[in-house]
Amino acid sequence: MALDATSFSPSANEPVIRVEGLRKSFDGNVVLRDIELSVMPGQVVTIIGASGSGKSTLLRCLNLLETPDAGHVWFHGADLAADHVNVNKLREKIGMVFQGFNLFNNMNVLDNCTLAPVTLKKMSKDKAEQTAMRHLEAVGLADFARADVTRLSGGQKQRVAIARALCMQPDLMLFDEPTSALDPEISGEVLSVMRDLAAGGMTMVVVTHEMAFARNVSDELVFMDKGVIAEASSPDEMFTAPKLPRTREFLSRYLD
Amino acid sequence: MASAFSRIASFARRDHRYVLLGTSAIAAIGMMLSSQPRSPMSFLAHAFTVELVMYYLLVAWIVLSAVALVFKFTHWKTYAQTAPFTKPGVVRALRLGSYVIWAMVAILVVDRVVLGFASAWAAAASATSMPKDMLVQVLYMFQQGKQTYIAGVVTTIELAVFGTVIAFFLAILLVAIRIMEIDRSDNDFTRFLKKVGVGFAKFYSTIVRGTPMLVQGVIIYYLGIAVVSSFGFSITEVNNIWSRFTAGLVVVSLNSTAYMMEVLRGGIESVDMGQMEAARSLGLSQWQAMIKVVFPQGIKFAIPGLSNELVINIKDSSVLSVIGVFDLTFAASTVAGIYYKQLNAYLVAAVAYLIMTAIASWLLGRLSRRLNVKSKPLGSTSDAKPLSLGTEA
Repeated sequence: MALDATSFSPSANEPVIRVEGLRKSFDGNVVLRDIELSVMPGQVVTIIGASGSGKSTLLRCLNLLETPDAGHVWFHGADLAADHVNVNKLREKIGMVFQGFNLFNNMNVLDNCTLAPVTLKKMSKDKAEQTAMRHLEAVGLADFARADVTRLSGGQKQRVAIARALCMQPDLMLFDEPTSALDPEISGEVLSVMRDLAAGGMTMVVVTHEMAFARNVSDELVFMDKGVIAEASSPDEMFTAPKLPRTREFLSRYLD
Repeated sequence: MASAFSRIASFARRDHRYVLLGTSAIAAIGMMLSSQPRSPMSFLAHAFTVELVMYYLLVAWIVLSAVALVFKFTHWKTYAQTAPFTKPGVVRALRLGSYVIWAMVAILVVDRVVLGFASAWAAAASATSMPKDMLVQVLYMFQQGKQTYIAGVVTTIELAVFGTVIAFFLAILLVAIRIMEIDRSDNDFTRFLKKVGVGFAKFYSTIVRGTPMLVQGVIIYYLGIAVVSSFGFSITEVNNIWSRFTAGLVVVSLNSTAYMMEVLRGGIESVDMGQMEAARSLGLSQWQAMIKVVFPQGIKFAIPGLSNELVINIKDSSVLSVIGVFDLTFAASTVAGIYYKQLNAYLVAAVAYLIMTAIASWLLGRLSRRLNVKSKPLGSTSDAKPLSLGTEA
């Protein structure tokens, strides 16, 4: 089972996405401060941290589902955070997978996957369906193409959500706690799809509480605490020799 | 039909629960009917003895039930073993007896109610002046004013049906304007237009829902006359162009638009936020996400409220009689004016309104059941925990 690697990269040593001085607050509560982050092509960056540390908000700022108060999000040479920028066009190149799956309930599995390519890329229905079938096959759900999405299990829904995002051939995939709504035994099927995707060279930013995935799959680990990036390093370094006591304390809860 | 029939058949064959007390209540109704005066068409009038026997049988059943009830109270611990009423043969006899009682009451219903109504109808038809009896009066006025009432019913249906359909399409347009949000990619002109549009939709909804339809009717009718007259038309031309019916239809449509817009908005807002977010994350514009994903789901939530508007319009179009629209209420007041009998004339109207709303509700119920055939309960399956989007700040 091989998933397509991202075809596009402007240059191998240019970051796919780069965040500079990002700040975000909700009703006066600052939830993100001084965020600096860049993700290189093919890199898997995993963001960990306690609930409320701002990791989901950071991820949602990357495709502008949340509007930052200040700072820049550079993607494809454009600043997503700038006013009047055509966010829709840039979002086509950023796939996102949500905790709550968010499959379109009024469509079957295949239509979920073909909606965006047909609407935005003006792809013919046939061609879009061929592409969608390829991605559904890769996540092991080709047999469910005509199924009503409300009939699927959580794990199946999340795999469809991944296939749906891949149909737009994104340069970057964002995962917002993709397994948090799933039972541990079902999480495995989603994580294995993500692992294949990473192995295929997809650039990914993942927010998760799955420490095994964070340690084994990611190239860089980012630990967030109280709205700032407290520590960022390679997984091995973070797990074996965390610099901050706060990081050690957080990780120890998962390592015991 | 077959299932309903077999259900009745199995009910009749089995020992039902309503043998004593339930049948007593029916017997009491039969006694009450029996004590009513007989109409000229009554066939029991020619069989006085039969009715007398029936009456006493009904009394006997009630007495029997009372005895059983007292027995149950005094022997409530051992009732099942000691009571004569629980022996299999007696139970069977009681059940058959209960059917006899029901049959007798049915005969009394036919004799007093059905034939009573029929003879009142006949009396009303043959009357040359206002009869004395209230029921005959009502039927007399209905028969005399039938053309008036029918014209009123037709107008009411036209106002309600056309008004609701027009309002539905206007409401879809208006709700599309109402739910627009400023998007980051919008230029300043689009932002301005969106702000104006949302403001207009809010303003419209507030004005229409904050004033009575009767007042709206008067204002729109006379405003229309003023506007059309200002083009220099004669009074007859004005009345042709801006007829009372046209004005009434405009009032119903504009009024219903505001309510339907709010119902649609409620439906759209009850669609999970995640649906919009997922569509936007794929690159769809706000408009595309709304049309393809959110609206098709939201309108299903709104169907009960939308169809309720038809029922409301059937009733509320009655206030348009104030500007002289010849609807059912206007028809009733016309008939009332001829005979100086307000109560009777409006009773006829009430029954007609009730029939219309009942038919409308029934049809809409069928329609919504058909439209909802494919809609499954939304949300997560059993293995997914409740969604908690956006809980993490």
